[in-house]
Amino acid sequence: MKQKRQKCLDLPGYFVLSAAIGLNTITFAHAQATDPNTAVAERGHYLAIAADCAACHTAPSSNKPFAGGYGIASPLGSIYSTNITPSKKYGIGNYTEKEFAHALREGIRRDGAHLYPAMPYTSYTKLTDDDVHALYVYFMTSVKPVESRPQKTELPFPYNIRASMAIWNALFLDDTRFKPDPSKSVKVNRGHYLSYALAHCDTCHTPRNAMMAEKGSSPLAGASLSSWYAPNVTSDPVSGIGGWSNDDLVRYLKTGDVPGKAQAGGPMAEAIEHSFQYLSDADIRAMVAYIKQVPAISDSKDKAPRDSYGKISDRESFYRALPASRIGRGEYLFSGECAACHRPTGQGSPDGYYPQLFHNTALGAPIADNLITTILMGVRREVNGHTTYMPGFGPGSYVDSLSDQDIADISNYVEQRFGNPNVKVTPDDVKLIRSGGPKPLIAQLGAFTVPAMIGAALIFAIAILFFIRLSRKAKA
Amino acid sequence: MAKPDFSSSGDVSADVIVVGSGVVGGMVANELAAAGHSVLILEAGLRLKRAEYVENWRNMSFHNRLHSDFQGLYPQSPLAQAPLYFPPNDYVGLSGPNGSAFKQGYLRTVGGTTWHWAASCWRHLPSDFEMKTRYGVGRDWAISYNELEPFYCRAEEEMGVSGPHDKSLQSPPERSRPYPRDMIPFGYGDRRVAEIVNPHGFHLVPIPQGRSIEPYGERPACCGNNNCQPICPIGAMYNGIQHIEKAEFKGAVTIAEAVVYRIDTDENNRVTAVHWYDAHRQSHKATGKTFVLACNGIENPRLLLLAANERNPNGIANSSDQVGRNMMDHSGVHASFLANEPLWFGRGPAQSSCIVGPRDGDFRREYSANKMILNNISRVAPATEQALKLGLVGKELDDEIRRRAACGVDLSISLEPLPDPENRLTLSKTRKDPLGLACPDIHYDVGDYVRKGLDAVNTQVKQIAGLLGGTELRITTNYNANNHIMGGTIMGRDPKDSVVDGNCRAHDHPNLWIPGGGAMPSASVVNTTLSMAALGLKAADSIKAAFAQGQA
Repeated sequence: MKQKRQKCLDLPGYFVLSAAIGLNTITFAHAQATDPNTAVAERGHYLAIAADCAACHTAPSSNKPFAGGYGIASPLGSIYSTNITPSKKYGIGNYTEKEFAHALREGIRRDGAHLYPAMPYTSYTKLTDDDVHALYVYFMTSVKPVESRPQKTELPFPYNIRASMAIWNALFLDDTRFKPDPSKSVKVNRGHYLSYALAHCDTCHTPRNAMMAEKGSSPLAGASLSSWYAPNVTSDPVSGIGGWSNDDLVRYLKTGDVPGKAQAGGPMAEAIEHSFQYLSDADIRAMVAYIKQVPAISDSKDKAPRDSYGKISDRESFYRALPASRIGRGEYLFSGECAACHRPTGQGSPDGYYPQLFHNTALGAPIADNLITTILMGVRREVNGHTTYMPGFGPGSYVDSLSDQDIADISNYVEQRFGNPNVKVTPDDVKLIRSGGPKPLIAQLGAFTVPAMIGAALIFAIAILFFIRLSRKAKA
Repeated sequence: MAKPDFSSSGDVSADVIVVGSGVVGGMVANELAAAGHSVLILEAGLRLKRAEYVENWRNMSFHNRLHSDFQGLYPQSPLAQAPLYFPPNDYVGLSGPNGSAFKQGYLRTVGGTTWHWAASCWRHLPSDFEMKTRYGVGRDWAISYNELEPFYCRAEEEMGVSGPHDKSLQSPPERSRPYPRDMIPFGYGDRRVAEIVNPHGFHLVPIPQGRSIEPYGERPACCGNNNCQPICPIGAMYNGIQHIEKAEFKGAVTIAEAVVYRIDTDENNRVTAVHWYDAHRQSHKATGKTFVLACNGIENPRLLLLAANERNPNGIANSSDQVGRNMMDHSGVHASFLANEPLWFGRGPAQSSCIVGPRDGDFRREYSANKMILNNISRVAPATEQALKLGLVGKELDDEIRRRAACGVDLSISLEPLPDPENRLTLSKTRKDPLGLACPDIHYDVGDYVRKGLDAVNTQVKQIAGLLGGTELRITTNYNANNHIMGGTIMGRDPKDSVVDGNCRAHDHPNLWIPGGGAMPSASVVNTTLSMAALGLKAADSIKAAFAQGQA
């Protein structure tokens, strides 16, 4: 092990590292195909999985891969994914590789219109030229054209002015390629590249500023995604995942389930279902190696790791056979709605299909967003051809449609029993999550967004001028 | 999205007024709301959470649980009673040679009785539709199996039915589409019994059922709580409430605790309005273009009789005098014994497999067919009762409970009564509900056709018990009810001797539909819910067509 690390450090700079990242580490069964173009397309296929293009561009339960039409919930309204099959009429069939790269990295379509950053071009811009080429070859030669036009995105004013994205990009898009860090191992660099340029972990896990741009100062420190909350995944042992073993992290990324600890729901379940479960073990381990050394960002409010809260409950023997009027409402509802699967003890089922509630990261989190959203929307994850499913308890539920008060009562009970007792949930919290979660400033600004962005751009420009002048003065 | 129109007084108008919120009312409402019609659903009973039923069941006494008190956990509206048996509330007055065989357990609550069914989703056989033509007994339906078959398919899809894809295990095998999901896999007991009895002409097949072992859309997978009756604690079993929720999502509005008691008709005998009492005994009126009565086999005929008006003095839809007659249920018996090897019934859903060999045959000219469900409800409770009676204690008691729970077999056997106009629901002259509305009385005689059928059952059961090395064989001697209420609003081609036509449209009223079990002119031996749902969907289609032609 030591020797290996030594070797990595001996590598002479960027050039060799880039080569190692771009080419050598992608290994899968068919890479040895005889036709070089086929090999490139197959590599592009793997990259498209790693970049999780299908998560947005293939509508759920659709049998038309990459035909678009999936409404991505954003605080500004639904943004519908586009058809990225090689259809000349409806897709990207007429794109040159340069135009393809332009869309992927700068968020600008062939017709010059701007994409919304729901398309993670701020991440894909880090892709190497080789990988962009492989993706292009894959989409043009291996994806079947689908001749249909997906639903059009129609955000309300002023977000419908796509040109405003030019200002946003000027402010927030760092249009440069991934640069390996020569002080880190090939494995960590590979993990970094996979996590950012492809898997775009930062898109969800890095908090955003008032204009919905990622905050460069706190990468992966956790962020709200409308209803769900993408937790802090930095190496901090209390606020982040620093206390997780590498094996647990690998298992989580591969299956979305670490029994007794954490289960993936919402967008993370989608990422695992569509992308991570198909990545090579080496790549998953590289991502884990990278994530484990991301600088720790700690939140002083976090007193203990998320997976350390709560304990097994013996409450049923106290409340069984009592009339409802003599049992706390949260306990009563927990027993009737939840305990059939999670058991009155909170242990879940022995096979882990129904998760254990205590020591569970969703319940030990400093905020209840993921608990509330799980109760409202449920969890669905298909891994290795097997579906893990918890029904939601929102409107039209197959189990019960619960009210904001019901969900607040259940949440408070399970937080006290099995989770973080400092977390308190009100019916208004549930109502907010039900309506799509907290809205960032940009969504609250509405019609003032464009003037605000222009204002910010002006301030930014003046600051640069000021800085240039200062430095000239200094030189003079 | 079309919505009912509420006035300040609490009266409502809508395109379609559905009375009853069970599987049939829910499906009809969902279909018509989806077609863009405003739909009002009136339900006499309460709307409660699943959690309350679950907790009530868990808190019930061992005695009530052991003797299957499936009614007691569902709180009733004080103004809308339904039968209770622990102790009996005598809401339904029973008489006749087999009155006690008609102790039905049905719910008046939003979602209806499928809250506590076992989700068996059987089809009638093609021959069941032509009993008179083929076997010279009973009645023919106004429609053929082939006419109902597409609606069976749709009902199976709506309810997410798992049934055998293997044709040799289908009963009947005449199908235009496969089951939405393949059969729930047999448990050990089912496999073992099939191995032993099938070579002797007993045809053990999987029960088609409204649940699945993988999620069905938004419905969770069954995990074998074995608690289907009286309540699935996790929503994995199809419940009528699921279609009520779907209908509401499309704009339908449900009013609970709304007891309908009066039906207005105009000079063309079209229904113009229904009236209901709310929880405070205040009367309100719902006017509409089309009316659907979906209150199942007892409350439908009761309401039609209660609502007699000047133009319809014998009751609504009753010019034939057939409303309330021909009452049927799969009167049945239970057989239990201890097999000479452990079979471990009680894992997975409450019902799993069934012997259908004696379901059809030329013998039906003479006597009733039968089916024998290999009950899969855990045997621990009866085993405990039996072991306690033996006076055992300590480890001996534990071992005996274990042995009896492992080897215990319970067959639930259904027989097929014929429609008999003398088996009749009438309004009680003496008993009234808290609103002053007459309670139902039912006179019931299973008839010689069933009695002769029971002789055949006894012979068959003894053979089966013998094959399994059975000891302590007990066959009940009193017929029990199976809650499959049929006949009270019987279907036929001739308005003179039937209440509804092949679309469950009332002969007497062009804008009134009465779908459900009451319309079924032959009982077959299988659970009625899927047929009721199929008839509901067929009625919904005919209502849509009537709207399209400006007749609804």
